[in-house]
Amino acid sequence: MLKSKILSLAARRLRASFAFCLFVASAHAASSDADLKAVESDLNALGNRIQRLQDLNEVQIVQHAYGYYVDKAQWRSLADLFADDATLEIGGKGVFLGKKRVFEYMTVGLGAIGPHDGLLIDHQQFQCLPTIHEDGVSAEMRCIAFVMSSGGWGHVYYEDDFIKENGVWKFKKLHGPFNMYSGYKAGWVDNVIVNTFPEKFPPWPDLPPTIIYLTYPSYYIEPFHYPNPVTGNPMPAPSPRAGGEAFGR
Amino acid sequence: MAIRSKAVPVACGLFLGLVLCSSGIAKDDASRLKALKSRVNAIAAETAYVESITQIQRLGRAFGYYTDKGFFGEAADLFTDNGTFQWGVDGVYKGKARIRELLTRHGGGSLKEAPGLPFGRLNLRMQLQPMVTVAADGNSAHARWREWGLLGQYKKEAVWGDAIAEDDYVKENGVWKIATRRYYLNFEAPYQGGWAALKPVTGSWPSAVAKEFPPDAPAPKAYAPFPTVFVPPYHYADGTLRAIQSRAPFDVPKRPDDSLGKLEARADAQELQLAREHSVRAIENLQAMYGYYIDKGQWQKAAALFSRDGSYEFGQSGVYIGNAHVERGLSLMGPQGLETGQLNNYVMVQPIIHVSDDNRTAKVRWRSDVQLSRAGQGRWGGGVYENEYVNDKGTWRFSKLHYYVTFWGDYEQGWAAKPIPMDAASTTIPPDRPPTVVYQSFPKLQVVPYHYVNPVSGKPNAGE
Repeated sequence: MLKSKILSLAARRLRASFAFCLFVASAHAASSDADLKAVESDLNALGNRIQRLQDLNEVQIVQHAYGYYVDKAQWRSLADLFADDATLEIGGKGVFLGKKRVFEYMTVGLGAIGPHDGLLIDHQQFQCLPTIHEDGVSAEMRCIAFVMSSGGWGHVYYEDDFIKENGVWKFKKLHGPFNMYSGYKAGWVDNVIVNTFPEKFPPWPDLPPTIIYLTYPSYYIEPFHYPNPVTGNPMPAPSPRAGGEAFGR
Repeated sequence: MAIRSKAVPVACGLFLGLVLCSSGIAKDDASRLKALKSRVNAIAAETAYVESITQIQRLGRAFGYYTDKGFFGEAADLFTDNGTFQWGVDGVYKGKARIRELLTRHGGGSLKEAPGLPFGRLNLRMQLQPMVTVAADGNSAHARWREWGLLGQYKKEAVWGDAIAEDDYVKENGVWKIATRRYYLNFEAPYQGGWAALKPVTGSWPSAVAKEFPPDAPAPKAYAPFPTVFVPPYHYADGTLRAIQSRAPFDVPKRPDDSLGKLEARADAQELQLAREHSVRAIENLQAMYGYYIDKGQWQKAAALFSRDGSYEFGQSGVYIGNAHVERGLSLMGPQGLETGQLNNYVMVQPIIHVSDDNRTAKVRWRSDVQLSRAGQGRWGGGVYENEYVNDKGTWRFSKLHYYVTFWGDYEQGWAAKPIPMDAASTTIPPDRPPTVVYQSFPKLQVVPYHYVNPVSGKPNAGE
């Protein structure tokens, strides 16, 4: 009797301590799981931000590579920077649809493949301001092409769209409105070219220009794809009375 | 009984022992977890740091796009409420409203009819070559910029602008803003004649704007513009190298194959990915810093940015190896500090930056536009760098700088009408090695080999 009492007491103690031990163990496991989850979610969020930093560099590489290919008329390498269904619109020439037409625009419109001694066409890419969108697979970028060519000077903006396909950033849309083109001798005081237009030289565009405008000495502002980085306000419309309405979208 | 009564604590003790034993692992886990958490915090801080650099670059570039087209109010909105703008030797303008008016008056816009520019007004002010230093606290920063201006009025005048800006920034409620811009105008040179024809200023040289629109405070220090050689103070003159530093190379450790180990391995991978993006910004800064030193003939400072066995090769002048010889090679451009009338602007632009997978080395293609003046003769230049860099215990250095000359051209007649050939290797300060690539500059064209394959197709360049 006593023996069985003692045994049952012992068993109770054992059960109790066992239960206590289990409780301790499971409590420990629970808190560690929660900790791991928290760390994992922090790493996820940081991973996205780090990826954005990498994306910023990668889209800029595509734009900058474009400039170096133009320099040497390496049109095939240049066209390879575009997505298959990308579009291109430069100056007032109209819109070219698809990578093949991008290649045609370059080879037919701008000259045969490869550098030609005596012909300088440096298209320097300056001041790129990229925005990677929340989806992580689309981006926009404003840039300048500052042109030093055998003919003189050029200043062009880009407002380009990029798409990430299979982990690779490509041009989705290249849009390059002109700001100023001038000859060398007098600079932009005189002898400026106000824009190109569809019929000026072959090949003919697939679509008409999305916008008709005149560049320097007239005023045209290509809209900013981004809001003011400090106020967050969208771009205000330019005032016609300040000279700022040489276009209508 | 005695045995049995002992059996209870023994059994329990055994079990507790197991628990303790497993919490022995748990204790180890706890310290691993703690270490991992502190690494996650460090990754978060470094991410914010690199983001800050990109956000400050964005601010400076946005400023340029606004001023280009007469969005002067938008440009002033990039400043803090009590932000300041110091224009040349004119003085300091305080607050957004005054900054807006200052930019409008200099840019030729209208305060009443903004934004925009009147017919015939050109106000292109390209913001280039940022060298950004974010303070250790992450809430303040400095940057040096180069402004290259194409200014003028149709049928009246065309003008080249050249200036350095040294900015202060603050982060307010999570948003970076410009607190101060110190705009050191170097010249506004008429297109006809260019910078080489500029005469030294005598006495004070306030702008026409300052006469009609006096500043709120005088400039802290007067200086003379080109052709005097003036070095705008560097924000990194105190020797801080933070801007050209990133994470030192590290070996990625092997982690245990448990749930904590998987997270540790992920943190490792993210640390490396982040370190490489941090390095991208450090290398941009390094090249910018080099350019600012070269501008002013500071050969010694520039040569110190090379690794001990780093090499310098310019055009057909041959290769100089090691800091001392690099400095001698650089001195072919002129005397240390340059002389009055010498302009040596090397604009550092269009980088294609590839940091190696292990964050130990990097290759970058850059471009330089060059504006020179020697003995009253102006000259244009253009070229491409294919450079290599090394991560020296967390500080980036040039291991190889190679500038390929695309063209040299006489200012008056231009590069098309009057290209100038490259210099041959110096006989007075001979290089350590002959040129690695023999070529001719414009009117000949040379495709500078790309260190990278096509970034989209992945194909090597086939020359077409």
